[in-house]
Amino acid sequence: MKKRLSISIVSIVILFTVLLSACQPAASTTIEQETLADTTEEQDIEEEVAEQVTITYATFSANAGHEEDLASLVAEFEATHPNIKVETQIVAFDDYFNKLQTMIAGDVAPDTYELNYENFVSYAEKGLLLDTTVLASNDASSDVGIFYPRALEAFQLDGMQLALPETFSTVVLFYNKDLFDAAGFSYPTADWTWNDVLVAAQAINDPENGVYGFYSPLQFNEFYKKAAQNNCSFFNEDKTETLINSPECVEALQTMSDFVNVYNVMPSEADLGGSSNSDLFLAGKIAMDVTGIWMFSSFADAPFAWDIEIEPGMATHATHFFANGAGISSTSEHPQESWEWIKFITSSPEVANLRVEKGWELPALSDPDYFTAYLEQTPPDNRQAVFDSLNYAIVPPVISRQSEMQDIIGNFLSQVDLGTLTPQEALDQAKVQVDELLK
Amino acid sequence: MIRKKANLRITRKTILYIMLIISSSTMIMPFVWMISTSLKTTQYTLSIPIQLLPDKVTLEGYKRLFEISSFGRMFSNSFLVAIITTIGQLLISSMAAYAFARIKFRGSDLLFLLYLATMMIPSQVTVTPLFILMRYFGWLDTYQGLIVPGLFRAFGVFLMRQSFLSLPRELEEAAYIDGANRLVIFIRVVLPLSKPVLITQGLMAFMDSWNSYLWPLFVTSKAEMFTLPLGLANLQGQYLTEWNVVMAGTVLSIIPMLCIYIVAQKYLIKGFVTSGLKG
Repeated sequence: MKKRLSISIVSIVILFTVLLSACQPAASTTIEQETLADTTEEQDIEEEVAEQVTITYATFSANAGHEEDLASLVAEFEATHPNIKVETQIVAFDDYFNKLQTMIAGDVAPDTYELNYENFVSYAEKGLLLDTTVLASNDASSDVGIFYPRALEAFQLDGMQLALPETFSTVVLFYNKDLFDAAGFSYPTADWTWNDVLVAAQAINDPENGVYGFYSPLQFNEFYKKAAQNNCSFFNEDKTETLINSPECVEALQTMSDFVNVYNVMPSEADLGGSSNSDLFLAGKIAMDVTGIWMFSSFADAPFAWDIEIEPGMATHATHFFANGAGISSTSEHPQESWEWIKFITSSPEVANLRVEKGWELPALSDPDYFTAYLEQTPPDNRQAVFDSLNYAIVPPVISRQSEMQDIIGNFLSQVDLGTLTPQEALDQAKVQVDELLK
Repeated sequence: MIRKKANLRITRKTILYIMLIISSSTMIMPFVWMISTSLKTTQYTLSIPIQLLPDKVTLEGYKRLFEISSFGRMFSNSFLVAIITTIGQLLISSMAAYAFARIKFRGSDLLFLLYLATMMIPSQVTVTPLFILMRYFGWLDTYQGLIVPGLFRAFGVFLMRQSFLSLPRELEEAAYIDGANRLVIFIRVVLPLSKPVLITQGLMAFMDSWNSYLWPLFVTSKAEMFTLPLGLANLQGQYLTEWNVVMAGTVLSIIPMLCIYIVAQKYLIKGFVTSGLKG
């Protein structure tokens, strides 16, 4: 009797612990509500007493070889601001947001931290970022006009400037000139459409040698862009419903999947077999690859000639615009010093010149002088396409439960890629699930 | 008749060896790739078809590893944490296991089952509360913060308890009659007899601590306190990774594990062999 009782107690406890751990809300919603700190009072105090202050700065873009660059920037900043010391926390991108959330939940949020646009909205909506408009208006030397307007807008919410844009990148079409020459095809131009791509890809496609004509993955980022190229908007006006199963979006997805499943000019996920498209491009196995300008340095030593062009469109052009920004935590005890730091790391000439020189992403500044050095570097020759793409730039459709939406859509896109669902079916089912997230 | 049997034996053995060679080469393949990638230049790391023997053998990856990251510091951090965690875990779990196995107190079975139930909770769930706790203690970015949470393992207690239960009580009773108290029995009688399980437990503790990624990721922010897995992860950029550098780091980080395993293997096998003998 005693044994039965203890066994049943233990089983109930085990069940309870399993259920409890299963009841974890999704990662993106475990951040507690933080109230915006009252900054004006602290500002007055800080301005009067210039004592030694240490602020922390968390970043994900400074690893893999750029730690020294960041350290030299910190040294420059500390030289011109002797009362501020900056402690950097470099975390690899894959775990950065997990760690950041844990730190915020544990009340040790870094004073300043880097955010990419996709995660910015969820952090901003939870009131975790300090509105810098007040700090900017009190600072005579700050001028938000130096930022590229698109990038600046990306980090605004409800009229509040919650982060300053640090870097931006665009996605372009990379093409292998040697493969085009071998097939006797003329190079892509700025007004190519997907039909032109298909014709070229079919000409160059050489399955026996494992050469594919084209690659543009069926994933969330590519999908919303192709949808925009076909004039399909992701959400309705007030973001209460998605429109991803409308005819234009379905057509866009159909075109994407036809490349893989009908015309066989594009490797499917299975064909890639674990290597990435950039690896294949570098090995000369893909003639046209749609990927970001961050690949310039890794493609620089490619054993063939290559160049870039604005990504082909359908009904219109639409190109990716990714931006990283630096924001101040709303719980920071040193908002003024934090403001000095993010101003420095986003807009000072030293930072901008270092970034261009080291190929460490592009500063989000509107002054074209910074970019003359960038444009002169080759390969590729057509670096102007990077900036021309900005004319058609779109930002990702972002909601509070971003990572869940991306997972759902990514799942359905994989199934279309593998051929288990048709685009219409996939988008209808995805719509049902994404609408739930919008409630 | 005899020749037929011998032939059969040889065929069976050949088939066995062939299967073993195939399966072991599948398992060795990642290590071979790892070592060969660490000796390549960045360009050729991801060439297709896969080059197992690099065209250009270079130590560039290793050189760059020490340039980019403070590898030596991370190595010693990992080593320190792993050693202390292993010793601590061995001490704590063996004492707890002995208590559960030999000391009869009210509710000991229930308590043991509850303790075992904690194994059901995935570590990702406990990380955030643990982090908040470490913050209250002021143990973030410290060695204590890295080591202390890893000292307690339900699985180790379970393993040792089972092994202690299988020891004949007569040995302990004999020692008791000779005037030994619990502590002496534990140290002089029980522990020496449990060498294989202690070494197994120690190996697992070392390996877990050495490879532990999630907890050090959250508890440390300063680069000086990073452990090896963190350091290796930081070598991977958002878009671009120099795989030869990462593989160089991985090769170096495996070496202590390999050494310890080779040394411990001797004891493990000796333990299994001699446990069958009497006396």
